[in-house]
Amino acid sequence: MAEPRRPASRSILHAILTSQQTGLIAIILVLGAVMTMFAGSHTDAHGAVVNNFLNSNTLIQVATDASFFAIMAVGATFVIVSGGIDLSVGAVYALAGVLMALTLRALDTPDGTLAPGLAVLLGAVICLGVGTLAGLLNGAMVVALDVHPFIITLGTMWVLRGISFVSSHAESILAPTALTSFAKAPLGLPRTLAPVPMLSMLVVMIVGELYLTRTVMGRHIVAVGGNPEASRFSGLRLGRIRVSVYVLAGLTAGIATFLGASFYGSASCADANGYELYVIASTVVGGTSLSGGKGSAVSATLGAILIVLIRQAIRTFHLDQNYEWIIIGLAIIIAVVLDRHGTRLLNRRLAAQ
Amino acid sequence: MIAGVGTPGTAAVRYDGVSKSFPGVQALQDVSFEVAPGTCHALCGENGAGKSTLSKLLAGIYRPDEGRIELHGQAVDFHEPRAALAAGVAMVHQELAFCENMTVAENLLLGHLPRGRGMTRVVVDRREMERQAAAMIAEVTGNDDLRIDTRRTIADLTVGERQLLQIASAVGSGASVLILDEPTSSLSEYEAQHLYDLIARLKARHVTMLYVSHRMHEIFHLCEAATVLRDGRHVATRPIGEYTESDMVRLMVGRTVTGYTRDRTGAPSAEPAKLSVTNLSSPGKFAPISFAVRPGEIVGFAGLVGAGRSYILEALFGLDEAATGAVTVDNAPMRLGTPLEAMRRGLGFVPEDRKRQGLVLSLSCRDNTTLPFLRRLASHTWVRRSEEKTLTQHYFAQLNVRSPSTEAIVGGLSGGNQQKIVLAKWLAAGCQVLLLDEPTRGVDVGAKAEIHALIDSLAKRGAAIVLVSSELPELLSLADRVLVMREGTCVAELPGHSSQDVVLRDMTGVLEAHDHHSSEV
Repeated sequence: MAEPRRPASRSILHAILTSQQTGLIAIILVLGAVMTMFAGSHTDAHGAVVNNFLNSNTLIQVATDASFFAIMAVGATFVIVSGGIDLSVGAVYALAGVLMALTLRALDTPDGTLAPGLAVLLGAVICLGVGTLAGLLNGAMVVALDVHPFIITLGTMWVLRGISFVSSHAESILAPTALTSFAKAPLGLPRTLAPVPMLSMLVVMIVGELYLTRTVMGRHIVAVGGNPEASRFSGLRLGRIRVSVYVLAGLTAGIATFLGASFYGSASCADANGYELYVIASTVVGGTSLSGGKGSAVSATLGAILIVLIRQAIRTFHLDQNYEWIIIGLAIIIAVVLDRHGTRLLNRRLAAQ
Repeated sequence: MIAGVGTPGTAAVRYDGVSKSFPGVQALQDVSFEVAPGTCHALCGENGAGKSTLSKLLAGIYRPDEGRIELHGQAVDFHEPRAALAAGVAMVHQELAFCENMTVAENLLLGHLPRGRGMTRVVVDRREMERQAAAMIAEVTGNDDLRIDTRRTIADLTVGERQLLQIASAVGSGASVLILDEPTSSLSEYEAQHLYDLIARLKARHVTMLYVSHRMHEIFHLCEAATVLRDGRHVATRPIGEYTESDMVRLMVGRTVTGYTRDRTGAPSAEPAKLSVTNLSSPGKFAPISFAVRPGEIVGFAGLVGAGRSYILEALFGLDEAATGAVTVDNAPMRLGTPLEAMRRGLGFVPEDRKRQGLVLSLSCRDNTTLPFLRRLASHTWVRRSEEKTLTQHYFAQLNVRSPSTEAIVGGLSGGNQQKIVLAKWLAAGCQVLLLDEPTRGVDVGAKAEIHALIDSLAKRGAAIVLVSSELPELLSLADRVLVMREGTCVAELPGHSSQDVVLRDMTGVLEAHDHHSSEV
């Protein structure tokens, strides 16, 4: 049977319309447009009329809010694509932040002898190191004990949160100002804007997407999630691959902590409480299948942005903050349903043509 | 049992101008024919000809775009499989669908589990459930020597046993029309014989059967009539006596195909063994076995389903950590228990169940082809995509894979093309020792001849091949030597040109079995 050839222009349009992210981007754009239309406006210090939503301050604020768990969502995507789940990332975040702040406080003498550059470097090493080790612990236990990752990471979630509680004595610990000036660096933009978290989110997203689609390890992760049996029969080392995804999830939690604790200037054992669910929600809203084998870092990031956007909408429209959870919960369900059925409808339409 | 509904002379099933299309594919176009009640009616055609689609329309899995389907003279329009079942149409799928974690009995009676009485109405009556399940199995197997314990979980069963269960479940639902989609593709000749007996018994009860199979001898042996499809169109419907095997194949493929016969006239190679196996065994799976395969040689394994043939291949490929014994490749010892070591030594394994073990169905043809050796296609862990694509395309051309592109999702391809991709991945990996487990299961005649030719040409180029097949004609036409397995033990070594009877006798140990029976009665 000869395959019907499509004209090139149409197949590009086809590819865009059916790509995994189209539905999500459409929802984000529609929500953004609605918010711009109904947000109203105010006059800024220079007397110019500024839209209450569509202005650089609010947009970067949304991106910053999203960045901390969007970065972790990329790590969670690896885990979920491989067929696993990681509930401990919020606790890893808290532990890495507390240990980093405690260490820097111990090293820094009252007269501020710790050079700013060294403080930033040390902070990054500690956060990323703690995250990686915690991930290694999760992965090694999942593989070596052969217990479902839901149970292992449910356990480590409490254990790690407990360690950060005990080691910090439940106090909030200040991070050196050098870290804050790093995370809030305007990078040439007006002083009120802080693009570092947003840019970090974009970098992690791009690196994560390339890792998943273009590298040997990434491709192995997708294969293992798609069919572990066939992967084993193709000579893949399942144990190593499974450990690696938890290490990566821990690493992204470490990156998120470093940015978050630096940005807010402190760390406490209560940080990122419940983040694991935000992270999983972002991934799932992004269309990653919980049964493994399918997912994308770009989609997970878009999912995180959508969730933050919904939260922002509640503020912009001056809705009662108490309804936030109800709205977010419903929105997640609606987004996933729209995404799935929208894609299916679109495919049917395109097929019918 | 609602068998034989309808007045005499009315067709049991009538397709009238049926068309069905899927995105990008016209699966069926204006197909019309009738199936007489109480007969076994063959649906023939290559993979992708539309046989499965036609069956699925009747079973309520798909709905026709155009045309209508009549059952016992009445037009039907099934929205879901349940509606078809209620109307007495049951289907035995090519894909075996069971709840893996539940027992045989639970699966067979799922949906109408027997309950206790009175206060115990909420509780499943396990004893009754097992009794009914055992009766359903006995109905299919017909005698005692193919017994399946109803308390075993599905995950523990072999593919052959699962297939028998599916048939038992369809027959047990009391269907008047039964669709059998490749029912013998994973049965050994011996097990298949039980199925043939069952079909004869069902005919006597006026059950109508639509029989999809690639095995010519079955079609001619079992069916009263046959419909040939090609590229989604109806080509012919005739009583079976009006076909010959060769013209049926010609109608199916639209050209003349000759079955593949291997030329074995060359002198046996005197080269030292490529693969040498000494006292390989695995507790509970198979007893110690020793054999050697020279370059260019094809060694076949015959045996019933469950005789341990697949276990031997799994052990050789390092998938069985409990296996012990001495295996050498090119005279150097190979470590057992890790597939990576086996692959490094040039072994490739085409497993029995391509959907579960051979392929990642959700990924593309390219992803699947390069999966075992992706690292070789990478510089500093970045996969060289263009090289990967060129390589895949090369093997697509060599194996004549029919797929829209190398990026197509493997799950959407026909069985024959899927199997070619499993073969492609080991060819592309450059394997010199190929372990083939049922390499042509569920593959159409055209693709089958191509795969046979490929196996032969690999042998000619010096590969050592171990071939497991439940199809004796295939085994005997390809293998230089045949080792016969029975209940985990190698019981005979026969030359490749042996007759089927001889092999079958060793496979079943039929003399002992006969004595055993007469003493029981």
